[in-house]
Amino acid sequence: MLRYSTLVFFEELLTYAPIKCKPMANFNIDAKQEMTYDAIVIGSGISGGWAAKELCEKGLKTLVLERGRIVEHVKDYPTMSLDPWDMELRGSLTPEQKARHPKGIRSGFIGSTNEHFHANDVENPYTEVKPFMWVRAHQMGGRSLLWGKQCYRWSDLDFEANLKDGHGVDWPIRYKDLAPWYTYVEKFAGISGEALGLPQLPDSHFLPPMELNCVEKHVKERIEKEYNGRNMIIGRVAHLTEPINGRGKCQFRNRCDRGCPYGAYFSSNAVTLPAANATGNLTIRPFSIAQSIMYDEESGKATGVRIIDSESGEFMEYYAKIIFCNASSLSSTQILMNSTSDRFPNGLGNDSGELGHNLMDHTYRVGAMGKVEGFEDQYYKGRRPNGIYIPRYYNLDEQTKTDNFVRGFGFQGSGGRAGWGAGSNQEDFGGDFKDGLMKPGPWEFFITGFAECLPNHENKVTLNKEVLDKWGQPTLSIDAEWGENELAMNRQIRIDAKEMLERAGLKDITDFDNEHEMGYGIHEMGTARMGRDPKTSVLNGNNQVHGAKNVFVTDGACMTSSSCVNPSLTYMALTARAADFAVSELKKNNL
Amino acid sequence: MNRRNALRRTALLAGSAVATPTLLSLLQSCKEQKRVDWVPQFLNQDQAVFVSSFVDTILPKTETPGALDVKVDIFMDLMYAKTYDENGRKYVVAEIEKFNTACKEDYGDVFANLSAEDKTAVLKKAEAETAKFNPGVWGTAVGDQKPVAFYRQLKSMALWAYFSSEEVGKNILSYDPIPGEYLGCIPLSDVGNTWSL
Repeated sequence: MLRYSTLVFFEELLTYAPIKCKPMANFNIDAKQEMTYDAIVIGSGISGGWAAKELCEKGLKTLVLERGRIVEHVKDYPTMSLDPWDMELRGSLTPEQKARHPKGIRSGFIGSTNEHFHANDVENPYTEVKPFMWVRAHQMGGRSLLWGKQCYRWSDLDFEANLKDGHGVDWPIRYKDLAPWYTYVEKFAGISGEALGLPQLPDSHFLPPMELNCVEKHVKERIEKEYNGRNMIIGRVAHLTEPINGRGKCQFRNRCDRGCPYGAYFSSNAVTLPAANATGNLTIRPFSIAQSIMYDEESGKATGVRIIDSESGEFMEYYAKIIFCNASSLSSTQILMNSTSDRFPNGLGNDSGELGHNLMDHTYRVGAMGKVEGFEDQYYKGRRPNGIYIPRYYNLDEQTKTDNFVRGFGFQGSGGRAGWGAGSNQEDFGGDFKDGLMKPGPWEFFITGFAECLPNHENKVTLNKEVLDKWGQPTLSIDAEWGENELAMNRQIRIDAKEMLERAGLKDITDFDNEHEMGYGIHEMGTARMGRDPKTSVLNGNNQVHGAKNVFVTDGACMTSSSCVNPSLTYMALTARAADFAVSELKKNNL
Repeated sequence: MNRRNALRRTALLAGSAVATPTLLSLLQSCKEQKRVDWVPQFLNQDQAVFVSSFVDTILPKTETPGALDVKVDIFMDLMYAKTYDENGRKYVVAEIEKFNTACKEDYGDVFANLSAEDKTAVLKKAEAETAKFNPGVWGTAVGDQKPVAFYRQLKSMALWAYFSSEEVGKNILSYDPIPGEYLGCIPLSDVGNTWSL
């Protein structure tokens, strides 16, 4: 990889990045002498970063176990400022790079600018009993470096759904339990958006919203006029539109998945881990694969975490009073499954037999696109890392109820002018053709739906002892597919998307359903669900493992249902809430 | 190291290499054809001549640089050399051969040696016969993509190589690496050409 010029890096940093990247003090590469901590957090992605911050700030000496390498904010973002021509292959992957990602490459998101943030599929195999794309990121920060950053609160429509329609088990919490924690994490993470007062999509604590462009404003007006009760809003995103806590605001470069030099979007690397580090209580141990959680039958509690040093292959044990499992939905479940004992022969906390079950995701890539006439003399400035959102409008109440499916879906999308890429399909070539492509093409607009996925016991992951990873450990087999309710929603998404664009006056409309399998939403969740009854769930209402109260699972594994909105904000809120509870219980000597 | 310098250096090397006997005889062996003034990493001379001629016809020099001015052909060869696997490379070689064979059958010579008029006729026919790319959303195409024949793949790659070149991306298109703000509605006249990034 060719770096264009170090000057560009420094120029940008001096002008815009208010934070000096100070080295994080406590990278514990050689931590043998110190094996005991107050708390251990497995994983440093979105939820692990929050757990680390909250526990450290509450005074607990905390060890974060990260299976991958250290990625320091700014310093370890080698591609953050490269233009296409700065790279020998202008962002294309070599066959060797592609060979590392035979599964993840299906996402269409992996290029040479971010390949180093995607896990190696060959060293970390999994088995697709039915097709399932599992996108993983094995380094400090995990997928918080790569995520889409859309942030939406859940409402009681979501928390009560299982109880009302009988799918899955009831959530042990309601919106009022989480609302203060949403506010708490939003104030620190920084969420930009517009308050609307919609009951199905509660407002966050917002930074100023990003702007819609002319055509998006036009389509919004048309859709809201044509349909009573439908809204089109600017996406709510974890990007700073005003500087907070020493982080700079978004510069609209849209190079987020390379790491942001301004710290403008929320990542563990830029936001939570530096805060945790500032307490002096944080130790991060990289190259530490959590193999299992150790359980003591006498006390009925976990004692620590057994790890494999991924570089030396050595097994080591770390001890703590409380353990937060935040390895990502399926990896956390894998660790619990690996954690067997006489008390828990089928995996830690698995009295119910539900561990590994009820895997969910959101449907993906069903929608419509078209052209918008006019506005030829209008354009925009900036590459906005955000689009529009159309909140759920089915099954909100009696008026919006449909017999075709339960629950609902929302849309994401955006509008913009075609660029030179449109030239590939134009039946033309030559000098005039080339010079014509220097000017922006027609306005285009698309929407694509995200439907809620019902919890289904049959959708599951299991430990596969036949296929071992690079370290000789069992891997996961994933056996899941969409049910009739999700497929019914996808049919409705396609019909509605086309109709909305038609009624908004778009031309040349194409509707589509790519029939993507589960996993493409990259919102995989469930498999260690929260619930009210230990007989049917793995975690209780405070994210504690039933039967091992000092183990907390607060990543996507804990989800009891999936809503149709992007889940990460909810993981953040659940984590902060559980950490607060854990420390208060610890102080009461209950853990 | 700067990519532009790297290319310049390659060109210099190629220039000086012409005098060496091996390459000279290689060039003389395809005597009736045009030859390239750079050393391809993957393509042979005939194939490189084809690619150069193709991209020059699709994106010729006008008041703005042409494909050859910004070394689109050199970059495409580099892509074949460094980003294509064995099967991909075989495909490219076979398709160039097929394209030239069709030119010989219809017009009596390989593409590069045809008159401007005949080249236009060949490409017009290919345009009309070749399936188009489906539109994409977030990195992947939507709907069922019909196989897109070599012509449009080549054209698409030429466009990308041209518009992502430093000369075009920085100096001709509107280049703003750090916009600093998002303005949703501004007059196109304030910007001029399409954004490069």
